[in-house]
Amino acid sequence: MVDILSTPILVTTILAAVGLGIPVLDALRKERGANNNKIYSMIAFGALVLSIGIVIFRVLSGEVLPAVAFGNEVLSDDMFGSFFAVAFLIVSIVVAASSWTYMKGRANPAAYYSLLLLSSIGMVLIGYSTDLVMLLVAWELMSIPTYALAAFAKRDPISNEAAIKYFMFGALSSAILVFAIGLVYGITGSTNIGVAVTTFATLGPELVPVGLLTIGLFIAGFGFKMGLVPFHMWLPDTYEGSPTTISALLAAGTKKAGFAAAIRVVILGMFALNTDWTLTLAILAVFTMTLGNLAAIMQKSVTRMLAYSSIAQAGYMLIGMALAPYSQEALTGTLFQIFNHAVMKSTAFIAAACVAVVLASYSLEKYRGLGRRMPITAICLSISLLALAGIPPLNGFWSKLVLFGAAIDSGPLVEWGPYLAIAGVLNSALSLAYYVWIMRKMYMEESPDMSRVKEPRAMVAVLIFGAVFMVGFGIWHAPILEFASEAVPNLAETMTIISTNSTEVSSGSGTGVNEVPGVFPPLSSSFMLEQAEGTHTN
Amino acid sequence: MTTAEGVMGFQGIAINVWLIWMLPFIGAALMPALRRNKPNLLNYTAVGFSLASAILAATLIPLALTDSEVHSQINWISALNLDAGILADPLAIIMTNVVAWISFLIFVYSVGYLHGERDLTRYWFFMLFFIGSMQLIVLSDNLLMLFFGWEGVGLASYALIGFWYYDKKKDYVGRERHMALGIPMWASPTHAGMKAFLMTKAGDIMMLAGMFLIFIYAGTFGFKELVADQSWAIEMSSQNLLVPAAILLFGGAVGKSAQLPLNEWLLEAMTGPTSVSALIHAATMVKAGVFLVGRIGPLFFALAAFDMAQFFEVIAWVGAITAFLLATQALVNPEIKKVLAYSTGSQIGYMMMALGIAGLSTQFVDGYTAGFFQLISHALFKASLFMGAGALLHAVGSRFLTDMGGVRKHMKKTYIFMLLAGLSLAGAPLVTSGFWSKDSIFAATLESGYTYAIPLFAIAVIVAIMTAFYTFRMLGMAFFGDPSKHLKEMDAKGHHVHEVSKVMWVPFGILAGATIAIGLIGIPFEEELHNVFAAYLDTSFGIPEEGSTQGEVMTGQQGPGGDESEEEREVEGRFEINYAAVAASVIAFGVGGGLGYLFYIARKLNPEIISKSIVTRAIWKFLYNRWYLNSILYWGTVIIPMLIYRIIWRYFESTIIDGINPAFQFSMSSFSKIVKAGQTGITQTYLFVFGVGIMILVMLLLI
Repeated sequence: MVDILSTPILVTTILAAVGLGIPVLDALRKERGANNNKIYSMIAFGALVLSIGIVIFRVLSGEVLPAVAFGNEVLSDDMFGSFFAVAFLIVSIVVAASSWTYMKGRANPAAYYSLLLLSSIGMVLIGYSTDLVMLLVAWELMSIPTYALAAFAKRDPISNEAAIKYFMFGALSSAILVFAIGLVYGITGSTNIGVAVTTFATLGPELVPVGLLTIGLFIAGFGFKMGLVPFHMWLPDTYEGSPTTISALLAAGTKKAGFAAAIRVVILGMFALNTDWTLTLAILAVFTMTLGNLAAIMQKSVTRMLAYSSIAQAGYMLIGMALAPYSQEALTGTLFQIFNHAVMKSTAFIAAACVAVVLASYSLEKYRGLGRRMPITAICLSISLLALAGIPPLNGFWSKLVLFGAAIDSGPLVEWGPYLAIAGVLNSALSLAYYVWIMRKMYMEESPDMSRVKEPRAMVAVLIFGAVFMVGFGIWHAPILEFASEAVPNLAETMTIISTNSTEVSSGSGTGVNEVPGVFPPLSSSFMLEQAEGTHTN
Repeated sequence: MTTAEGVMGFQGIAINVWLIWMLPFIGAALMPALRRNKPNLLNYTAVGFSLASAILAATLIPLALTDSEVHSQINWISALNLDAGILADPLAIIMTNVVAWISFLIFVYSVGYLHGERDLTRYWFFMLFFIGSMQLIVLSDNLLMLFFGWEGVGLASYALIGFWYYDKKKDYVGRERHMALGIPMWASPTHAGMKAFLMTKAGDIMMLAGMFLIFIYAGTFGFKELVADQSWAIEMSSQNLLVPAAILLFGGAVGKSAQLPLNEWLLEAMTGPTSVSALIHAATMVKAGVFLVGRIGPLFFALAAFDMAQFFEVIAWVGAITAFLLATQALVNPEIKKVLAYSTGSQIGYMMMALGIAGLSTQFVDGYTAGFFQLISHALFKASLFMGAGALLHAVGSRFLTDMGGVRKHMKKTYIFMLLAGLSLAGAPLVTSGFWSKDSIFAATLESGYTYAIPLFAIAVIVAIMTAFYTFRMLGMAFFGDPSKHLKEMDAKGHHVHEVSKVMWVPFGILAGATIAIGLIGIPFEEELHNVFAAYLDTSFGIPEEGSTQGEVMTGQQGPGGDESEEEREVEGRFEINYAAVAASVIAFGVGGGLGYLFYIARKLNPEIISKSIVTRAIWKFLYNRWYLNSILYWGTVIIPMLIYRIIWRYFESTIIDGINPAFQFSMSSFSKIVKAGQTGITQTYLFVFGVGIMILVMLLLI
């Protein structure tokens, strides 16, 4: 049994109680004024802060297990899950706080915050899941509220279109995931990820194609959330059409949940299969980042631009996943980038929401002269854009440095590794074209109306938090990098577990054994150069 | 070393050290959040933060006296194995207190000086930013963080020199329409800010190069680590890179401390508010160069196996020549702040010379102590003089000495305090700190045993004579004689010269008092400083107080202190007064001060006599045009490079580069359009792509 006092259970309990309590409270309250929004926003904010406090407290007090690849239970209270929980909860907090302003005067605030909290539970649980069924439940718990949230402006056709597209893809990908899980159960007889992976390592030759098909389906199912090309088509439409705070949640939160799930399932699962799947992911990565950046350049709407930008960012994160078998550092880089991206992208979206609230437009043309009209929003947006582009000393620079550095250092092991870094660097340069374009509009052009407008306080507070985070953890990035490297399961150990377990299985069953991939070198958390060279000479 | 606490791990006092430099930054960040229309709120907040930082600095003093240190590090950039850390050793503790307390007093002064200024937010932001950066330089335990602080003070300096960026004529420096070799010798605040920024950058680039050169070989920026493992030095010296790297580092100090050949920016820097001149361009920032040499000097000296004499020779001679050059120019300048600026550069030259001498002598600690004694004493009296000058500007409304005269009757307090601080600058015997610090430099030079010690000593004495002369000239022109035409006109209009407010005169009164107080206890003070540094150098760098580390330097140089026996390694035993040096100081003050007195205070002689002879006129013009160095610099580094740039722009950039750019732009936007065309908005297409995507993916995996 999972310990009642473990992090995921505590967080789930708090968020579920509050999330379900808000509609009840709303039903009991007679008043129907604008105050409701403020009260619920504050309650949701409080519950989320309490949850993140619990997660961080448990991490700091050392009660959390070190990151494990597999667990016997359905949930494992480990560093990997805690890392993602912190990232997701930051995003939820940002969304809840800025909704204070954004939801002002809109209908059904109680349902809004309730759905937000329920979706947060789903996101948090994905990180902790070690069982495919648990994962699927968490996945749906995360996704279904967001379908409703995307359509929250129910009289707005664009919002509805966004939600419908999102829902159709969501339904499709859920179906694919269920199918994939079914296949896994069919092949291995278990839904526990650990058991499944170990069994995968001993698949008979006739079953390997089925195994690969399963992996492919998983990639497609999770890739829809991650925004990987070619599963990205719904994404710009949805991010643009949804209420902007929800876009922030989708781009910064649920998208990362896709990565969490993918790392738990796909990467570990792929270890077991002795095929060259890394190149496939690398190709996906390059396509994703290039296409995202190219499409973003010519956009006229800022939210749409940010949507494409988050596709491109998914490409960078995929670099680390593609290189996972060669370097622990690469996966650390992915996690690091995920964490930073959660803050950078949510800040950027909230800034766009702030402009939308005040000027009622997402159009890039409306951003002209924003530097003087809304100085705080403009500077925070600029910081987040520069961080997204990876300009030092902001936090985005460091995660890209770790990622690309790992890619270069993997050169001796895999010849296409360094090319990923080159693609990433070129794409970063390309991405500046539109990031700086927004800044140019804000600071170097003037709009006909240059009057100073009032910036909503709650959003400004959120934006300043984001800006301070990006600058502060840019100057001193060590804590998050350390957290990220703690959160990556020790892959060498994982390999050993898989190989020993599979040997037992194979000796028991007597079927042909697939050799464990020989590419896997001894790992450490430092840069891989020495080890890589050592392996090379061997 | 009596390190009371461990080097790593949590130390209560380490928090203080971190806060000393972080608090001002926090205060700076707070400034824009405060209401602009409440000047008192801004003033109190800023002064409060600087006081808090100063009090924290004061808590470290006991550590310096017991030769302890605080060293705390945190993991910073793990990929490069870099740690962020602070190091409060006796050197840093002394410096941090000088910076913190003088800046606190100047902050108080600013409240009066900038009364009614509309851009207080900007002023306080950069002042606090400056202190934070300066303290970061002082307390950093590695070259990299030091460099961040270094650039921070450069930025603050730039922003504050150009503080009055609306370029009103009254904020200019230099006499209008004064040209030399076709270059204007007057400058607007914005121009001056730019000039200062660019010139110091030239030094910074050298410093950066030196830093990274060392980093390549040592793999660390940390001062402690560089001392602990000296294998990098062996490798560097085998490539003949050690001395060049050291000199490159010194290049940064040259720029920041306005030493030859990067000395020209300091004079134009006087366009900033006088409080800024006092804090940044006299008392603290320009000392950063000296501090840097004080940080790396012992390090290079401790590399006993290598001959670093060249490095120290460069320092000593650059210092001596700058001291001479700027002192001569101070003799003829008509603007009170510029006289003080020349004097600052000149006095820093003394400090550099002392530190250079330290490395060339058997007794490293003598020159080292002399340099830092001069630094402390100069910080006190020059800050006081600048603030007094600010009070004068306030009262008289003109920056020219010729527009003053006879002011002493109306501004008694300013007069007395400036006189005291001025006497210290001039080196009035026995009662002023300036006398003792200068004397210690003379003594260190005489006792060094360096081959060319006598020429250096001669330069130092000549500079001392000139210093006394121009100090009396400045005081005499401002406070004595008859009121100038300008003052009479003001009087006629009903603007009477009057004493400045308490908030202004109290700070510089305190500093003037301090310089006399240190003068009165000059010998014990110097001895204590000597002991602190002797113990520090011994424990941190293994530089013992006696015994030669450099082979070619002969020991047993005559002089009262030279023949101490070996067993008297005791810190107490070494310090003695060198009577030759004392005599030289007294004579220098007598000659220079006497002449100055006759010309400008007693007015027995008329300074106009120099215009009678063609030779003296030519010399006057040469000095007044700053040895033409400024003009040469402009021609060589601004005008000619700009011409070349125009040619490149015309024939390369606008034809070739601009010819290629549109093609690149066009291709990218075409790609973008193609990609966009795929995004039809029709859900069926999307689903189709999704389905095809899965198929391709699975096929890729199956191959």
